[in-house]
Amino acid sequence: MKGFTAICKIELRLFMREFFSFFFALVFPVLMLVLFGGIYGNTPIYEGADVKMMDISVPAYAVMVIGVTGLMSLPLTLSGYKEKKIYKRFDATPVGKKSIMLAQVVVNFAMTLIGIAILLTAGKLLYHIQVEGTFLTICISMLFSIAAMFSMGFLFTAIGRDLKSTTLLCYVFYFVMLFLSGATMPDMLFPDTIKKVSALLPMTYAVDLMQGAFAGDSLSQHGKELLILGVLAVICTAVGAALYRRKDWT
Amino acid sequence: MSGLIVQVENLSLSYKHIHAVSNVSFSVKSGEILAVIGQNGSGKTSTVECVEGLRKPDSGLIRVFGKDPWVHRSEVYKEMGVQLQEAEYFSKIRVEELCRLFAAFYERPADWNLLLTQMGLDEKRKRLICKLSGGEKQRLSILLSLIGRPKLLVLDELTTGLDPEVRQNMLVSFENIRKGGVTIIMVSHYLDEVEVLADKILYLEKGKQQFFGTKQEFREYVKSRIPHDEWNDNLSLEKLYLMIAPKTTGLTMEGIL
Repeated sequence: MKGFTAICKIELRLFMREFFSFFFALVFPVLMLVLFGGIYGNTPIYEGADVKMMDISVPAYAVMVIGVTGLMSLPLTLSGYKEKKIYKRFDATPVGKKSIMLAQVVVNFAMTLIGIAILLTAGKLLYHIQVEGTFLTICISMLFSIAAMFSMGFLFTAIGRDLKSTTLLCYVFYFVMLFLSGATMPDMLFPDTIKKVSALLPMTYAVDLMQGAFAGDSLSQHGKELLILGVLAVICTAVGAALYRRKDWT
Repeated sequence: MSGLIVQVENLSLSYKHIHAVSNVSFSVKSGEILAVIGQNGSGKTSTVECVEGLRKPDSGLIRVFGKDPWVHRSEVYKEMGVQLQEAEYFSKIRVEELCRLFAAFYERPADWNLLLTQMGLDEKRKRLICKLSGGEKQRLSILLSLIGRPKLLVLDELTTGLDPEVRQNMLVSFENIRKGGVTIIMVSHYLDEVEVLADKILYLEKGKQQFFGTKQEFREYVKSRIPHDEWNDNLSLEKLYLMIAPKTTGLTMEGIL
């Protein structure tokens, strides 16, 4: 346990030293909030709508944070460790490579929570956003979203032959989902064709679930989203783990 | 069997269709230094990586401290330190952070501050790993192999990348480490350091074991394989090795410039 705690501490430091992860998980979503909040304010998303722009933007940007840690930071770090033979070096210690992989998950999970907390605080202070959902509902929604995105990232690392191919996979999926899932702009503003594409993307269900949870919906109203994200998490983790076992770590 | 630290019997390992190691057997007793020698691609690293539990052999028996290192890796590593041929670390970690991290993996770690001084890295303790020179990284790698106070050390190309002075000091240091009762397996291309340090030699060619025995037995082995008039009792281990090692062709570079 002492060894694992030490790895987590180091991984946390490395996360903070890595500009990309730090900026896009902790700073960029808040900048987006400030930018779009400055343009629209917390006004209805269209005339006569019940939903306000910032009220739905904060949970959507929360999914953006989950996407950065789960689909970029986690898989790219793990893939880099494999390429540099860092796993091999840790396998040559009493703690083994599983500790370093688990520490990566723990640290990215923690940074996701911190990123969302910062976002929520900024939304409350700057735009007085309304959070109608219960703490438990929001937590469960967040956990399902995190499980789905992290397991997808894990699968990408397992599929990628090297850091280059993993990076390509992560970038393509992350940016397509970022712009077409409703994480950056409300999907109700999308034309019908884009909505059809959006319905195929896992992140769309995370955004819908989080927005519903923040708006005060019960979990039973989002059974479809929970099912899709839950099944995705199980499949990606199982397939990823099977592929990982077959990889040559030396 | 008492005092046997490493036991390897009929070890074989292949990568897809290439036989990297075939039927290799050797043993190392407590306090001994075994040198594994051979040309590039002869299976030296593959052999020691099986001993380190980093590769699963196709067949054969391997015991380190009486345990299978592939199955009981974390237990074996409580008493075994390794310096890998190729090892990278997190590039944005500082030297002292990495030492502290590795020290946290062991119940009774060595004083890494002292090791930093002994390895000449004390002034580099705040430096990021990515800013270290090749020789400094090598010294750090050796330091990390010692941090758990190992009873068995496996060193894959110990002195590669070190300048002559540091290399000389390193050989003296490892002689002292051995005097402290530590068993060592070293892979090396430098036969002069093998001559100084090793008690026994394992010589591999194309994955096959050519010789295993003491340095004196290696002399006899070479003597029996070369013409009588080429023999001289004062020949260095390096000369002896060159007499029997397969000749590498095509490395003249003639006519290139």
